[in-house]
Amino acid sequence: MIRSPKELRVLARQARQSIIEMACRSGSAHVGSCLSCVDLLVAVYFGALKIERNDWQDRDIFVLSKGHAAMALYAVLALKGLLPKRLLQGYFLNDGTLPAHLDRSPSYGIEVSAGSLGHGFNMALGAAYGYKLKNDRRKVFALIGDGESEEGSVWEGALFASKLGLDNVTVLMDRNDLQGYGRPTEICYFEPIVDKWKAFGWRVDRVDGHDFKQVLAAIRKPHAGRPKMIIADTRKGKGVSFMEDQMKWHYFVVTDEVRLQAMRELCGVDHEK
Amino acid sequence: MRNNVIATIAQFAQKDSSVFVVCGDAGFGVLDDFKKKHPKRFLNMGVAEQNMISFSAGLALSGFKVFVYNIVPFVLYRCYEQVRNDICYQELPVTLIGIGSGVTYAPQGMTHYSVEDIALARTLPNLTVFSPSDPVEARACAAYACKSRKPVYIRLAKSGEPFIHPRAASLDVTRPITVRKGKKVAVLYHGSVGAEVMEAVKGLKASPLVLSLPRVQPIDFSFLSKSLAGVHTIVTVEEHFVDGGLGTSVADWLALGRRPQRLIKLGIAPEFIHGIKNSAGMRRHYGLGSSQIRTVLKRAFENAS
Repeated sequence: MIRSPKELRVLARQARQSIIEMACRSGSAHVGSCLSCVDLLVAVYFGALKIERNDWQDRDIFVLSKGHAAMALYAVLALKGLLPKRLLQGYFLNDGTLPAHLDRSPSYGIEVSAGSLGHGFNMALGAAYGYKLKNDRRKVFALIGDGESEEGSVWEGALFASKLGLDNVTVLMDRNDLQGYGRPTEICYFEPIVDKWKAFGWRVDRVDGHDFKQVLAAIRKPHAGRPKMIIADTRKGKGVSFMEDQMKWHYFVVTDEVRLQAMRELCGVDHEK
Repeated sequence: MRNNVIATIAQFAQKDSSVFVVCGDAGFGVLDDFKKKHPKRFLNMGVAEQNMISFSAGLALSGFKVFVYNIVPFVLYRCYEQVRNDICYQELPVTLIGIGSGVTYAPQGMTHYSVEDIALARTLPNLTVFSPSDPVEARACAAYACKSRKPVYIRLAKSGEPFIHPRAASLDVTRPITVRKGKKVAVLYHGSVGAEVMEAVKGLKASPLVLSLPRVQPIDFSFLSKSLAGVHTIVTVEEHFVDGGLGTSVADWLALGRRPQRLIKLGIAPEFIHGIKNSAGMRRHYGLGSSQIRTVLKRAFENAS
């Protein structure tokens, strides 16, 4: 089923509400990291990934390599019906249901365990190569962070993927320009990031990561013979005005008061444009 | 040993189309045949060990049975977290084949020795760890890995190791293997240093019980317990730091079970190795030469009687 950008925005808003609720109930960190990439997850799960129950055996694979954005994935998997909604209630709680970083063992649509950065990306490449060898036409998607791309392993993978002709791989970078303790652009020589990935042999697009039309157009653009990297410019904390582009929301806890403020914004009009 | 392992995997690959071999720019002359026979199921992932391991885990996720070939530091040290998170945590069928156990490569230098790999590997749940002592054991370990759906690590010396077992022997490598019957004193070893043990026991009047433990994790202690009936002194011999390997596993087991046997641990002193010696010289330097092992065993018999 093809969803309109408007429908996707509604889904993303519901996912944001779930994230705020989870973060508040559990007192866990990374709410900003989840809010920046949740639009990308909604775009992938509702606009690109072949992952309905009736084609589960040959479903497309999505790997959340920045595993600390687990709340965003849980929220979207719940909306997609792959993860029982009641499990969100026990996120990051003692004797709870879901950990703050991904564990694939109970499944629920979680394809790869992740939490340490610069692992899931490379596993996604390996899986994609495997499917290619088996003439399995399924696609592999991965989401990495901009801070994550400081990991050497990311560039090791980047160096090989193009040579291996992994045109069944689409990677999205949540380019929110805020990591745990600074901005990637201040910490390292981050830009020009498009040129870097191009130089490694990837097809590269740069989009507004909160614009579903742009994101989906980039995802659907053919990329024969090469892997694809979509640099998605996003805002950390997107959707909650006082969290946007604020480093503290990498770690700060959502108190009841913050939750009420945030929910007031998220339950109001369409947050998107 | 490495040729026997690769030959076993190659044979298995003819029946099982899911077998895939990955190397990290190593294996010249060893992997050539496999590469020629199965070009689509072989990949050189270059000098990029983190990617090599995570990529292999991904291949396993897509349904392949992956064997990763490299020297020990590059399948376990450089990429420990990848092995931990991507292979062991996610229980994927990847077998790590590490070459250059102990001081096999002396005097290449400390960077190329693997004297703490068992200690590291023992920290990883789900990982079955093998350290075969001769080509017959190596073949059996590779056969086990071919059938396993779990993570496996096989620690090998290189090639040209002497045969300890009859060439056609069919061994159960999941249990301690009795190599020589004996009483009172038992020698437990793993890996290619077993050849020194066999040489050492040749010159003894009284024969110790000699057990090879190709599987160092998990160890079948209930089987070991039965094998050790009537033994006063256990001597563990390993080409590995004296702490953290087989000797430590056995010490834990003895202590926790309040067992009466005395334990002597032989291994490499826990230090960075700066000496310039070949592997035989290095073994002698750390008390792992056959005559030094013989002296220890003689004393053990004197004390035991």
